[in-house]
Amino acid sequence: MSLWLLFKDELNGFYRSKVMLALWVGLPAMALLLYFLVDDIEGIPITTFTGLLVSSIGGLLTSVLIVVNILNEKEKKVYDLFLIRPIRRENLLLAKFSAVFLCVMIASFIAIFLSAVLDSVTNGYDVQQMLSSMKDSLLITVSLMAINCSAGVLIGVFSPSVLVGVLLVLFGSNQLSSLVLLPMITGWGEMWMVGLVSIGISAFLLFGASLLFRLKEL
Amino acid sequence: MVSVRGLYKRYKELPVLLNLSFDIPQGSIFGYIGPNGSGKTTTIKIMTGLIRDFQGDVTIEGRSIRNWGTELSSTIGYLPQQTSLQEWRTVDQSLHTFGRLSGLPEAEVEKRMNEVTEILGISEYRKRKVNKLSGGTLQKVGMAQAMLHRPKLMVLDEPVAGLDPESRVLFKNLFRQLSREGTTIFFSSHILSDIEDIADTIGILGQGRMRYIGSMEELQERVGKSTEVRLETVEPVPNDSLLEQIPGVSGVERVADNRFHIMLQEQKEIDAVIDRTIRALLAEGMHIRGIHPNRQSLESLYLSYTDQGGRV
Repeated sequence: MSLWLLFKDELNGFYRSKVMLALWVGLPAMALLLYFLVDDIEGIPITTFTGLLVSSIGGLLTSVLIVVNILNEKEKKVYDLFLIRPIRRENLLLAKFSAVFLCVMIASFIAIFLSAVLDSVTNGYDVQQMLSSMKDSLLITVSLMAINCSAGVLIGVFSPSVLVGVLLVLFGSNQLSSLVLLPMITGWGEMWMVGLVSIGISAFLLFGASLLFRLKEL
Repeated sequence: MVSVRGLYKRYKELPVLLNLSFDIPQGSIFGYIGPNGSGKTTTIKIMTGLIRDFQGDVTIEGRSIRNWGTELSSTIGYLPQQTSLQEWRTVDQSLHTFGRLSGLPEAEVEKRMNEVTEILGISEYRKRKVNKLSGGTLQKVGMAQAMLHRPKLMVLDEPVAGLDPESRVLFKNLFRQLSREGTTIFFSSHILSDIEDIADTIGILGQGRMRYIGSMEELQERVGKSTEVRLETVEPVPNDSLLEQIPGVSGVERVADNRFHIMLQEQKEIDAVIDRTIRALLAEGMHIRGIHPNRQSLESLYLSYTDQGGRV
């Protein structure tokens, strides 16, 4: 019960936050703007380009967002009033992860969907091709974001300050998230393996974060 | 209700609590005082399960806080030193979440939110975001979340610090009312007069140990009784010798023409000396505006008890 309640609460907080508002509007706008401003990507469908852009920038923003959020709340002792109540400690983290992940995923989906529509109108790609292209882009994007988001949670739990947390995200979580592309780069994997690797790494990071959060005196 | 036994806590090499033991009876108001860094907040955080690495034990209604679970957590209401809530929430959203997480059913939450916000005078702020509230109002929201689920024990860390006099009186009356209804209240404060006013039992913490535990009256007995009488007459007293000659008086300090501090040889003679002073002055045809023992405040008692001027 507490996890669902906390998730609804966090979702309620995130989707209306200024950062999320910037993502809702900013991600699609940025993707389209860059596409039309940069000349040497001619030939690449807008959808693919947006997928790459969103997965890179969106993932980074997600992890920074979650790290700053957790560290600020830790510093202000916001969790004390939750922890004295009959809830599982890790539910606080899982609710936050789920809420941020869902919000950013929807923002990314909107960006990619708009690009697909644009591709269809301007370049005349057929619907079947566009759907397939969109599916792959979305899977990669979601996988990268899941890892970024869970890495953000872990860094948020153990990091001593916002500055250290953000630095760790910049130098760590983005590199870590690129692991999902290994099956594709090495050529020994299928597209579905990207999702599998992502789930595995995310679950491992979240488990570590939960364990640390249980043991840690905040 | 609460039993603290052999509590020991250190932060790295620095010991904060050293073999701390005390009991809090059901329905009482326990005032917990001590200088900064004496371990008050650490004690409170142990009692509320927020600090789990310590030696000794705390039992609440016979249940050890080492087995922290639903039953224990719903027994306790906690107000931290600084109420920190997620800034994006309104007062209503905060209270609703805390009420539901404390196990109150949906219908009951709304009813209790109406009650507690009414009691604390914050009904008009319910739709306001918590980051737009003043410090005092935020403290009241903190108090509201602490009492929302009708806990049997309320653990309050400096609850009246930063409140205006009106709100301070509101909180004190609320403590008394909750205590009458059977709620046990444990609160820390630096504002000694607030503890003096309302606490049934006082605990003085110094150097990680409980220096004193008992009632205000017992504390006065233990630290030292009044050995001074304050006198104010209507007319000026021409010379001190009139008062100095009274049996049992060891000295007289003139504060003004008509005001004196009369020092006693022995505390037990205080009633007799007051009686003799009144008679002596009346015999001289003088009128008395006031005469009373100079009672020590809790602050002076506290400092004389710890005997370190606050550097406990």
